[in-house]
Parts: sequence; structure tokens; C-alpha cells
Amino acid sequence: MAGAASAAAAAGVTDMADKEMKIGAALAAATCSLLGTATPGVSIAADAEPKWDVESAFLYYGESDDRVNDLSLSAHATRDFGDERTLGLDLSVDSLTGASPSGAIASGGAQTFTSPSGRETYRTPAGEIPLDDTFLDTRFALNGSWSQPLARLYTVNAGLGFSSEYDYQHIGANFGLTRDFNQRNTTLSAALAYAQDTVKPVGGIPLPLAQMTDVVDDDVSPGNRGDGSDTKNVLDVLLGVTQVLGRHSVLRVNLSYSDSSGYLTDPYKILSVVDPVTGDLIGRTPAPGASGPTGVYLHESRPDSRRKEALYAELRHDFSGKVLQVGYRYSTDDWEVDSHTVESRLRLPFGSSSYLEPHVRYYQQTAASFYRYSLANVTPLPGFASADARLSEMNALTFGLKYGHVNAGGNEWNARLELYRQTAKAPNEVLIGNQIGNAQMPDFDAVILQFGYHFKL
Amino acid sequence: MRKLILFVLACAALEGCASLGVQPWEREVLARDDMQLDTNALDTAFDDHIYFSKEGTSGGRGFGGGGCGCN
Repeated sequence: MAGAASAAAAAGVTDMADKEMKIGAALAAATCSLLGTATPGVSIAADAEPKWDVESAFLYYGESDDRVNDLSLSAHATRDFGDERTLGLDLSVDSLTGASPSGAIASGGAQTFTSPSGRETYRTPAGEIPLDDTFLDTRFALNGSWSQPLARLYTVNAGLGFSSEYDYQHIGANFGLTRDFNQRNTTLSAALAYAQDTVKPVGGIPLPLAQMTDVVDDDVSPGNRGDGSDTKNVLDVLLGVTQVLGRHSVLRVNLSYSDSSGYLTDPYKILSVVDPVTGDLIGRTPAPGASGPTGVYLHESRPDSRRKEALYAELRHDFSGKVLQVGYRYSTDDWEVDSHTVESRLRLPFGSSSYLEPHVRYYQQTAASFYRYSLANVTPLPGFASADARLSEMNALTFGLKYGHVNAGGNEWNARLELYRQTAKAPNEVLIGNQIGNAQMPDFDAVILQFGYHFKL
Repeated sequence: MRKLILFVLACAALEGCASLGVQPWEREVLARDDMQLDTNALDTAFDDHIYFSKEGTSGGRGFGGGGCGCN
């Protein structure tokens, strides 16, 4: 009611016309105060409560062997409008550089590849896993969301998101509803998200399983490309239960369903074509006077739909101020990628205003039904094939430690270091001849270093 | 059929949940920042983004992530 009081005081002037206007403003201010909405044009007496809660962070992600490096700046801000109405804004900028595995296999001799643009070549020394070092991108992402009570015990939220990078655009919307039960000890939630992404790869969309061609001039399109761009649509449905188990424990369980359709292939990934008996790379000679690949490589091809289902559970328990968080996720999909993820954090407060938080995560997955280490030089070719190690059998381990300190103003700064190790394995049934026992997968280690500042305004 | 079973299980779970929980005056610990399920929102967002681009599965905790050509 402070707004009404100040506006009413301001109305105490002599001029009658002016007075009527000021009384109008006072009434508007009073009405707005009662409704809890902001009053345009009327200054409301200073309110000491902070309105904005901002988490900001700088992140460095670096892979071993000069592979992918990412520098990222992010901010997650929420504005409290009172009465449980909040606005959320997320802004993020990423800068990626480095080399990424192309999907081709290591070979006894040096290999030459045509780059994704089709206009130049890159070379991989004998015995090494081919990496495409033309990988470079900057990504901007912006998300906005609004949450408010709908009726007693109901909360509704809605959001919009955009992101843009050189060869990829994303636009998405989401909507969710929660309802509290059982003295607000149980919360059920349902949420829906829809995204439409546009893929516009360098050099155009490669035709499925089309062969890598010799380098072409700037004014000519590589012969193995189709349209310049394609789209992908993703529908996500999420049902969740959050349950207070006792004074020290809370549990969340989510069931989710995701349906992706459209262009789900990675336009930059290729497969090596090998002898069906020995498993050795089939050599190729570029056309006279041209430069181009020295082996036979095909662009990958994935199905145009994918349906995933996941179960996620997370428990938080307080042990006299120490908080243990344990999470588990099981995911399965019609590409036959089944995965288990187990993750835990333990927050250990010390001193009056600091904490340490160790973190461990383990992930494992099965290979997609169309994962191939290479393709045998036989006809007909399979309908779908990918040598992307992210679709092979894989496990990954993360260890991390975070330190946080809350300063006298109540703001927190923190730093965390995480080490990630990924180990992939090609299933024996996809290996051919000499590849058995000699398959090389593009395993890597990565370091994640993050500095954050969490403040209120 | 599977969805019906899930629905029945969810209802049974909800019924079971009615005997769990605390009174409003017993929420001192639960109200702490570090007991909220969405603490470290930025760490979670970074992690989801990294794992989305490096592994074959995403989502579960929230939506599938994405909006990125990295996978």
C-alpha cells in the first residue's frame, strides 16, 4: 500500500484540475497495489526487497588432443513480481573451436578428405583417427519464461526460446501446469514443449550415403548435395511428481516422452567403406588434376524419426546441514539407444558461509541399431548407417568439485572443476576382418572449469 | 495398455503419498535454498548442454535439451 500512500500525498496540491488528475493517479495506484500489479507512471516508494535474482557464469570446456574447445558466458535471471509471479530470462553465448571426429576410421596410410564445404581438403596422418578441424561456431541463445498461480494450488508456466548459430537455428515454446496436493507435500506437473529447428550445413545437405567427391570450384555445388537446408521438429511431454518424504527429504520422479522428426542426420559425419573380408579401407584416386579423397567415404544416413522415453528420479536428503543429492535416469528409444545415468552431489558447508560440493556421474549407453564402425563394400547398402561414436556403445565418467562462498552482502561466488572421460566401444558384430581387436574409437578426456557469481538486485 | 498401467500406478502412488509429508510448520529444512530441486540451475543447464552434444541420450530431468546443431 506504500504506492497508494505516496500517490495520495502527492495529490495534496492546490490546483483543482491538477488535483483531480492526481486523485485519479492515487486511485490507480491504490487499485494496482491491491491487485499487486505495477503502476505505470507512478513512482512507488522504495521497497528494500530485491526483485532480481541473477546467476551468471563463465565456462571453459576443453577436450584432450586439441579437439573441441568451448568458451561460454551465461546468465539466468529471475524477476519476482510478488504473489508467486516470476519472469525468467536466460541468455547464453558460446564460442566453439577445434576438431571433431568425422566418423571415418584410422588407416595404415595417410588419408585425405574433402572438407564439408566441398571446396578444400584436410589430411589425417597414418594410424590416427580422422578429425575434421574445420569445426568453428558461435551460438547465441535466449529463453524467456513466465510463471504464475492460476488458481489455488495451481501454477502455470509458459516459455519461448530461440538460438542461432552459423548453420543451425532453433525456435521453441513450452507450457506447463502444476498442482499441489496433500498440504502441498505432493506436486504433480505436466509440461509440453515444441521446437522447430532448421539445419543449414556448410555446402548444403549431403544426400544419404552419397560418396564424398573431389574438391569443386567456388561457383559449383558439390555433386553429392541436395537442398540447402532442412528442418527438424521435436515434441516433448513431461509428467512429474514431487513428493516431500519428511522434514529432511524430497523426491522427484519424471516420466518423459520425446518425438523428433525431420532431418536427424549429422550432415558432417561420414563412414569409411572397407573391403568386406579384410576390413581395410578401399582406396580411391582423385580425378586427374583434381584434389580429393584418397579413400571411399559415404555421408551418413539416419532415420527421420526418433521416439524416446525416459524415467528420471532425484532425491535430496539433508543430514544436519549436509545435503546429498542422488539422481538416476533410464532412457530408451526406437533407435535402440538405451542408457543409464547415475549422478550424485554432496554439499558440505564449512565455516560460516562456504561450502564444498563433490560430484560424480556415470553414464552408459547401448549402440544404435544402425551404428556401423565402417561400411562393407557390398550392395545393397543398408538404409541407415552412422559411424558417429555418440551412437556406439559408450560409457562416461565425470568427477567434479565445486567451491562456493557467500559474501557479507548475501551474494555467492563459486568455482567448479569437472573432469570427464568418455570411452566408446564398437560392438563386435559391426567389426570386419582386421578391425576385430584393432578398432580405434575417438575416446577423449575433457575438463570443465566454471566461475560463477550469484547476486540479487 | 501401457499408458493405462502407468496411470493406475500414478494414482496408486498419489494415494500412497497422502500418508507422506510434513506439516507447514515443519518445513524449515525443506525451505532452505540448498534443498530446492532447481538449485544450481546454471550448472545444470551447462551440464545438460555438454552431455547433449557428447552422448546419445538427453533430457529426463527436464526437456530433451537441444536447440543446438551439436548433435
